[in-house]
Amino acid sequence: MSDLFAFDGAPEAGYAQPSPLLSDEEAIAGIPESIRRKSLPRWPRASEPELVRHYTWLSRRNFGIDTGFYPLGSCTMKHNPRVNEKIVQMAGMNDLHPLAPASHLQGLMAIFYEMQEMLAHCAGMDSVTLQPVAGAQGEFAAIRCIQEYHRSNGEGSRDKVIVPDSAHGTNPASAAMCGYQIIEIPSNENGRLDLGALRAVVGDDTAAMMVTNPSTLGIFEPEIAEATEIVHNAGGQMYYDGANFNAILGKTSPGLMGFDAVHYNLHKTFSQPHGGGGPGSGPIGVKSHLAQFLPKPLVVREEDEHGLDGWTYSWEDPVNSIGKVQQWHGNSGAVVRSWAFYRRYGRDLEKMSEHAVLNANYLRHRILNPSEELASKISAMPIDGAPARVVKHEFTLSMSPVKDATGVSGKDVAKRLLDYGYMAPTLYFPMIVPECLMVEPTETESKEVLDKFAEDFLTILTEDPELVKTAPHTTDVGRVDEVWAARNLVLRHSLGE
Amino acid sequence: MVDHLPNLGREEIMLKEMGLSSIDELFSDIPEAVRRDSPLNLPAPQTEEEIMVDANRLLGANVAINSRPNFLGAGLYENYVPSMVVAMATRGEFLTAYTPYQPEVSQGMLQALWEFQTMVSELVALPVSNVSMYDASTAAAEALNCAVRVHNKKATQKNVVYVTEWLPEHRLSVIENYSCGAETEIRTLKWDDNGMVDLKSAEAAHGCCAVYVEQPNPFGVIDENLAELKQIIGENTALVVGVNATSLGVLEAPGNWGADIVVAEGQPFGIGPTAGGPIYGIYACTEKYLRQMPGRIVGKTFDDKGKDAFTLTLSTREQHIRRHKATSNICSNETLIALMGGIHMALLGPIGLQKLALRNAAACQVTMAGVLAIEGVELLFTNGASYNEFTVVLPGSAKGALDYLDKLGVTAGLALCDVMSGADEAWLHITATDQTTNEDVAALVGGLKSWISSTVMAVGS
Repeated sequence: MSDLFAFDGAPEAGYAQPSPLLSDEEAIAGIPESIRRKSLPRWPRASEPELVRHYTWLSRRNFGIDTGFYPLGSCTMKHNPRVNEKIVQMAGMNDLHPLAPASHLQGLMAIFYEMQEMLAHCAGMDSVTLQPVAGAQGEFAAIRCIQEYHRSNGEGSRDKVIVPDSAHGTNPASAAMCGYQIIEIPSNENGRLDLGALRAVVGDDTAAMMVTNPSTLGIFEPEIAEATEIVHNAGGQMYYDGANFNAILGKTSPGLMGFDAVHYNLHKTFSQPHGGGGPGSGPIGVKSHLAQFLPKPLVVREEDEHGLDGWTYSWEDPVNSIGKVQQWHGNSGAVVRSWAFYRRYGRDLEKMSEHAVLNANYLRHRILNPSEELASKISAMPIDGAPARVVKHEFTLSMSPVKDATGVSGKDVAKRLLDYGYMAPTLYFPMIVPECLMVEPTETESKEVLDKFAEDFLTILTEDPELVKTAPHTTDVGRVDEVWAARNLVLRHSLGE
Repeated sequence: MVDHLPNLGREEIMLKEMGLSSIDELFSDIPEAVRRDSPLNLPAPQTEEEIMVDANRLLGANVAINSRPNFLGAGLYENYVPSMVVAMATRGEFLTAYTPYQPEVSQGMLQALWEFQTMVSELVALPVSNVSMYDASTAAAEALNCAVRVHNKKATQKNVVYVTEWLPEHRLSVIENYSCGAETEIRTLKWDDNGMVDLKSAEAAHGCCAVYVEQPNPFGVIDENLAELKQIIGENTALVVGVNATSLGVLEAPGNWGADIVVAEGQPFGIGPTAGGPIYGIYACTEKYLRQMPGRIVGKTFDDKGKDAFTLTLSTREQHIRRHKATSNICSNETLIALMGGIHMALLGPIGLQKLALRNAAACQVTMAGVLAIEGVELLFTNGASYNEFTVVLPGSAKGALDYLDKLGVTAGLALCDVMSGADEAWLHITATDQTTNEDVAALVGGLKSWISSTVMAVGS
């Protein structure tokens, strides 16, 4: 094991810096003695060659899309084009200050403007802000806009937000952060929105309903238009969680479905790399009646023959803006990467969704229809998480029949997949599907990868249950004891103490 | 044609295998009434080479802060990130991974983040750190929410927090938005004439849930009163300190003078100002706040054979488990940028950190001396020391001065009235960092002198 804190070299071996503008004695004299630091943090003392080896060693103990197939449902783990990384490292991006005069940021603002327009068009919305820096923050910002909208109409007493039981956890968490009470409604027996359950809870206290469509089961809600009508008739607003936007681009839009507000996950649909947990970017789009409340600022432009490509761009604050939800102008780097991604597809973004859906349906078909030879060795097969003729960009499998027959759980199969060189699918979500595995292949996987994954997945179902239950066996570490971690809470290096 | 779709041209084979004949059948579940009836009205697809041409033209039209003398900072700093930091952090195994939900194949990122937590813990002298918030402002806002959850029961001032006066809008507005859920009342903590917290009036905060202060304050003044604040507000009120991260190479760590929660903008460690994002917020606290804190945390544990291993822990605080009762809605955070920060910190080491802080301190002092030598320019707060930045009162409008110097090729700082409610239009906020040179200072001083003689004096006469 490579231990960062075991590096204890001479101080001179570390990163060399240019001489300061004053001697150290002069500089420190300018710091009041009462508040000077007495002992330095015990950071490692290492040279660049040593650290390059340490971080390379760590990277080799980490699995990314570059390593292999990453069918993590609801996360849209598609290929991250490398040109995007090259672009954000340019001086005209990396070394910009958000508070610089707009005249210093015209190229960036041109890209912002293009992204605002493109995202609005794709979702059927009237106005887009790129401010929120993650999907959850987009939800929070949009629900805050809806809250201010109701208050401005004298309907601030609307204090409830409705979410289906299949919703992402961020939906209820974001609405609660705005102060809303959460009403969770059950899905029907087929895993779809239950209009009866919706009618039973909707009323003059309804502020909004938050819906993911296609749902977290990967299924397009057949009665979405009826649901939006029910909520609108009660005076509520409809919020679209864009986590699954990858499935429908160019085919339909939240606007066509009747939604009033939407967030986009640029780190899902538009290839911003996930970076081991972030950064993301969660722009929001709204219909015109909500636009005046958007977080500030937006980019606007005017024709100007001396401007960049004939335009001058400026920042503009919506008139009744909720203010700011994060510090500067959003995750600009993620926006620029996503711009480069979108430019690669242009009007063919529809193709992206077609191939995402093609791959998901194909993989589902391959898994649920094993060859006769494999089928004869499998004692129990998983079943669809919800019945569907076709799915969208992802699908769910319930491993319950397998667990009942062999004792092998969904988690066991997930861990065994790691041995085969795959990332595991999303596990035990949505909660309404027992022993759930949620599989999302994305459009950037080849047929060969999907064929091989289906075969390996089915092969696991033929293996000795003990082998599967004790998996993984070939990874850097075996099954990790998460309970011990939570009980003992060793959250930092002891540094020998 | 689009070149990142491996199954282009093989659609028919795949459809046939499923017993389908067209792609449209895959979308037949979308009700007619909500289907798009026309293709997307967007430009034609571009190749990588064409995208690069446009990227070069558009981003090339921007003015990078380090392409000229720059004194704009105010929470986001011109810096230099050693090449090795980006080279390591953007290795594909880090760059293209999701949140490490499967620890068995994510030990590399988990260990790197656990090491990051350790370095942050050492930096601020508090035992617990998470793996990042979005930025300093959301970290501050979440810290106040966390403190309300921990202290409200015993608080004599329920649902009340105090923040110092003169917070910029990009901080205060975020705090206000995040306070909606708990309906927290935000009151103002006054300063004395030196721009330091007025300890007498701070007694009013006793018994509230939290007090938020910054070190140095938003004008750049090092607040020498803060060490006495915790005594005054008491055990049942969280002292939340927003700190300039690099200053901790020379300034005492807040954990050593009473801070319960420390938040900071991590950007100077790891990444350029990058137009404001992605950057990352540092969030550290005492154990008392651990179970109510936001964000992801890595813990050390063992695998089934007793081998050392790392995993995400305390997930029961988080939205994917606790849903509307979660401590925060945060899911995606700024992990990769925190990784960059951690690598940068490791490369600096303790001596490098001190050197970096001294470079910043020296640049600030040299710049201040140069600017204050100009007749008619005065410090806003005259009795305190500054780090990284300071605020002067100009003999005219700061915006006017900025425009004038911009034309001379100097980015002279920030007109505080643009970001701070009630700020005088003559207040100019000037930032000097480790990247500032004597030539930069000469350009600033020369430009300001020229502006005063040509503009202010001309108007005055």
